Amino acid sequence: MKQTLYPRLDEQIYWDKLPNGLTVAVVPRQGFSQKMAYFVTGTGSLHREFSMDGKFYRAPMGVAHFLEHKLFDMPGRDISGEFGALGASVNAFTGYDMTAYYFSCTENFSQCLHLLLEMVTKPYFTAESVDKEQGIIGQEIDMNEDAPETRIFEDLMKAMYREHPIREPILGTRQTIGEITPQVLYDCHRAFYRPENMILCVVGDCDPEEVRAMALEMTADASCPQVEKQENWEEPAQCVSHSLTSSMEVARPMFQIGFKCDPLGAGREGIYREFVGDLAAEVLFGESSELYLRLYEQGLIDPSFGGGLDTVPGMAMLTATGDSDDPEAVRDAILQQAEKLVAEGIAEEEFLRLKRSTLGGRIRSLDSFDSVCFRICAYHFSGFDYFQFPEVYESVKSEDVRSFLAQVVTSQRCSLSVIQPKEEEL
Amino acid sequence: MIQILQLQPGIYLRGCTDTRFKTNCLSIQFVRSMDRQEAAANALMSAVLLRGTEKYPDIRDITRHMDDLYGATVGSLVRRVGDYQTTGVYCSFTEDRYALGGDRILEPVTAFLQELLLHPRLEKGVFCESFVEGEKRNLLSAIESQKNDKRIYAAAQLMKYMCAQDPAGIPRLGEPEQARALEPGMLYDHYQKVLKHSRIDLFYVGSRPLEQIAQLISPIFSQLERDYQPLPGQTPFRDGGKTRNEQKMDVTQARLQMGFLTESTVNTPDFVPMQVLNTVLGGGMTGKLFMNIREKQSLCYDIGSSYQGGKGIMTVGAGMDCKMVDRVERSVMQELENCCNGIITPLELESAQSAMLSSLRQIHDTPGSIENFYSTGALSGMELSISEYMHQVQQVTVERLAEIAAKVQLHSVFVLKGEQV
Repeated sequence: MKQTLYPRLDEQIYWDKLPNGLTVAVVPRQGFSQKMAYFVTGTGSLHREFSMDGKFYRAPMGVAHFLEHKLFDMPGRDISGEFGALGASVNAFTGYDMTAYYFSCTENFSQCLHLLLEMVTKPYFTAESVDKEQGIIGQEIDMNEDAPETRIFEDLMKAMYREHPIREPILGTRQTIGEITPQVLYDCHRAFYRPENMILCVVGDCDPEEVRAMALEMTADASCPQVEKQENWEEPAQCVSHSLTSSMEVARPMFQIGFKCDPLGAGREGIYREFVGDLAAEVLFGESSELYLRLYEQGLIDPSFGGGLDTVPGMAMLTATGDSDDPEAVRDAILQQAEKLVAEGIAEEEFLRLKRSTLGGRIRSLDSFDSVCFRICAYHFSGFDYFQFPEVYESVKSEDVRSFLAQVVTSQRCSLSVIQPKEEEL
Repeated sequence: MIQILQLQPGIYLRGCTDTRFKTNCLSIQFVRSMDRQEAAANALMSAVLLRGTEKYPDIRDITRHMDDLYGATVGSLVRRVGDYQTTGVYCSFTEDRYALGGDRILEPVTAFLQELLLHPRLEKGVFCESFVEGEKRNLLSAIESQKNDKRIYAAAQLMKYMCAQDPAGIPRLGEPEQARALEPGMLYDHYQKVLKHSRIDLFYVGSRPLEQIAQLISPIFSQLERDYQPLPGQTPFRDGGKTRNEQKMDVTQARLQMGFLTESTVNTPDFVPMQVLNTVLGGGMTGKLFMNIREKQSLCYDIGSSYQGGKGIMTVGAGMDCKMVDRVERSVMQELENCCNGIITPLELESAQSAMLSSLRQIHDTPGSIENFYSTGALSGMELSISEYMHQVQQVTVERLAEIAAKVQLHSVFVLKGEQV
């Protein structure tokens, strides 16, 4: 395997791309007990339209998440139990643009890695087990309906996006998951879980060559169909509507404001634009900004306030979220402050301080194995080696941040999603 | 591995020197008895301190200073450990060797802590009214927002009813009425009292020797006029009687929260076996509750149990369809009954043991988990070392678990249900 050194971070990664296309990355961490592995596909809830070996497929909403649940099934076996017996904990999550399976252990690493690779590469679905899962996921959908932070985000996406599938809930609905059959799952598994669309990332005191050898062995007979995922959506720059309000059992009004950005693109340029967006959020409403202090002192925001840049293929947005008795006033203040920053420019000293601060935060997050695995995988699918972040951060120019604010933080690109407390019944 | 230095009577610095991390941490906790009258004041205190100091008069100045220190964070930390409530700050900052051009981070961070604790921004000799009013609003909002997360809300409601006569029933952030009544003068006087009389626990994880930290941090406390008043010991559960409550809310999914009394606490020899029993029953995805009630019967989406060794209370929480509440409750009782009858497979026991051993081994893998384990351990009276703890986990047998399970009694139940049922 090829060893890459990152002296700035005091880190190294062993990289390889197997002949079948699977990427393997190992970050050695001597002196730690924990060992963690992420096995990830670059397919998430967005990717339900694709062509495979020349045939077009449109899968029901929620299929990626459903598949994630079902890969834990193996005939006559209890996978969580097997991990448990090895002293490991296993879990998985489905995002908009990736699905990850991971475990953390302190002993029996090889057996755990074998089990993880086996479980994800050997699908097994029956009508009966699909039927049972519809009940469990139905409960998960119900639980989400009572979660205000999920509702507020899903409302915001519906208000902002006309075409992009980020407007669909990751879990799907009770109706759409009812359309899922074993055949749908087998087709999607073949399309999404082909090796060239996946990465295996390991962090811990492990032997990189052993990891590579096992990955090679376990993916030897994986099928490698020709797949094109649909990732281009004709999305206008304007939002569908500028506000959406719901009511729920919450204590105070909650809000999320979104500003629609143009898609960032892939590779180093895409990441540069992402960091520009990140710093723009800090300059505009970060904790050391003029605006944050003013809104905080006026009681319009509280410590729950925060925001940043979010991006998945085909879309990017700047969001801010929190609790406030007057969300409209927060939105208006953000718009005005952006105008002011664009007119007056950003003080260079201020800008350097923010860069140093965000850089320090990213360096500290490397102490978390979870965060390291997650970011290496997520950025891999954007075509970027995550541990190069210090260089990219340092190259960000304040002028680019200013242009970003001028282009993005405008009322045409803005939507506001609010959850009001239910009126008390008299 | 963990060193303890006494800086003054009632002021302890604990910690470890570890060069593996990019993050360092330093926490300062004032330890108080959990008391209905002052819980809200304790929760409010550090938030008010973090609003401004003489040198850094508002949050923007503070945050800018932190940005200069590579995004160091200083946050308010309020914990409940048995009968105690701790209030203070937790700082997380980048290890000096990752700073540019030989910049220092640790020294300025400790200097800032001194400024924060000893030189708060005052007006008319007490805390600024606008700071107190603003933070009161935020505290009230934090207390009331617990309702937003139905899982947290149901768990808190159960504790309120089950522990009506015990300090464990006092909410960690205090009661809204107490928070509303706080005024700048009262709060400032309270803070002075806290500085003077409280036990103070400090904790450090980073690359420097602990003696060096003691030197950096001691000046903060040598300036105080101290009259240390030791805390009363932790007390056993004070039972106010069994309760059963149901509340209606506009929710899609019902929440069931069950509270059990055990005879095992941190001070009894079966503390570790009880932890194992809790893990066998409801710890994660290999517990009996998850495997049988969720996986086999599909009755709910989430279900699990937790055990508080201070009071010997075990709770089970689950989310499910409103019509299924009774069935889930019966199934939970059945799983507990199975434990009493020794119906625990070797795999169930091994999985629980391995999971616990694995978490214990990982404590030393992050600064945050080191701080949390040892600083709360020091207060709860849990005196086991990690290796002794692990040894006891390995010794547990099914027979032992059955004996302990037989003493676990259902005490109280709280149900949150939709309005249409």
